[in-house]
Amino acid sequence: MAGAAVLGRLTTGWRVAEVVDAVDETPRVRTLVLAADGWPGHRAGQHLDVRLTAPDGYQAQRSYSVASPPGEPPAITVERLEDGEVSPFLVDEVRAGDRIEIRGPIGGWFVWEPALGGPLLLVAGGSGVVPLMAMARLRAAAGSDVPARLLYSSRSWEDVIYREELGAVADGPAGLEVVHTLTRAQPDGWTGYARRVDEALLREVAWPAESGAQAFVCGPTAFVEAVASGLVALGYPSERVKTERFGATG
Amino acid sequence: MSVGTRTEELRLDGNALGGALLELLGPEGTAALGTCGSCGARGELARLVVYVRCPGIVGRCPACDAVLVAVVEGPERTWVTLAGLRSLELLRGDG
Repeated sequence: MAGAAVLGRLTTGWRVAEVVDAVDETPRVRTLVLAADGWPGHRAGQHLDVRLTAPDGYQAQRSYSVASPPGEPPAITVERLEDGEVSPFLVDEVRAGDRIEIRGPIGGWFVWEPALGGPLLLVAGGSGVVPLMAMARLRAAAGSDVPARLLYSSRSWEDVIYREELGAVADGPAGLEVVHTLTRAQPDGWTGYARRVDEALLREVAWPAESGAQAFVCGPTAFVEAVASGLVALGYPSERVKTERFGATG
Repeated sequence: MSVGTRTEELRLDGNALGGALLELLGPEGTAALGTCGSCGARGELARLVVYVRCPGIVGRCPACDAVLVAVVEGPERTWVTLAGLRSLELLRGDG
């Protein structure tokens, strides 16, 4: 859906949101901060649906996780998939002041709040970091000292979304522990992990199952299923492994 | 890319049902507990195996693969079947 998108006839559940800021995160990923009248507020981990309408009436919709913590305006972080219908428009074309249609917030299961306790294990593949970032931001904003660790798999250092902020939230005694693995290319002198997340890597990084840790896993389907089965093999009860898969349609 | 890979990438989970069922079940509807009418497995809708390009959305039981939920959103109406579910338990409030 290149070029202009118009607003369709607003149907039940949908509302118009204005893009108030657009922030480049990586060459392929951008965050859009939205202002939506009547937005009821969201929980960390929820998503929203975006609907675009072409001048000829054709509509396409996609789901995007909310990146901002509860209490802040909804922001979505979108990765451009080259043959996608929606993501190239959101990453390359949309400007502050543009309006899009959204519905949400959506989701009652893949959500975290400090009262759930910990330890908290976040496992992200690529842009699967987005809803987990909302959880990390909530944890920081709430001053929670729940022990928390993020294992984040990216293709290369340039593909790491929120790179600087993740460095900052790791500071301090109650900081989020961040463990990167770079699966395709590593900077010179890289001493971190450089392999895919599997049971062996989880054994090194994940909280032991006996800790009662709650895991949230988000990424592409194959990634999520490999991580979830790895955690269950390490003794995590399946109800303590919450998963969200995203598809290959952009 | 093999056919198997493509099929895998189209397989999502019940989180993806939330938008289509928003009007019916509310914002937190993916936490509703469904019991499969075929095998009796019980779990959150978020844990269903979901295909989103059918057209429409189909949610299957993660234990026995039976079709539990299907939703098609059209311009004038949303069509929903929950016929594969024996029951659906909706959570109240924050509980």
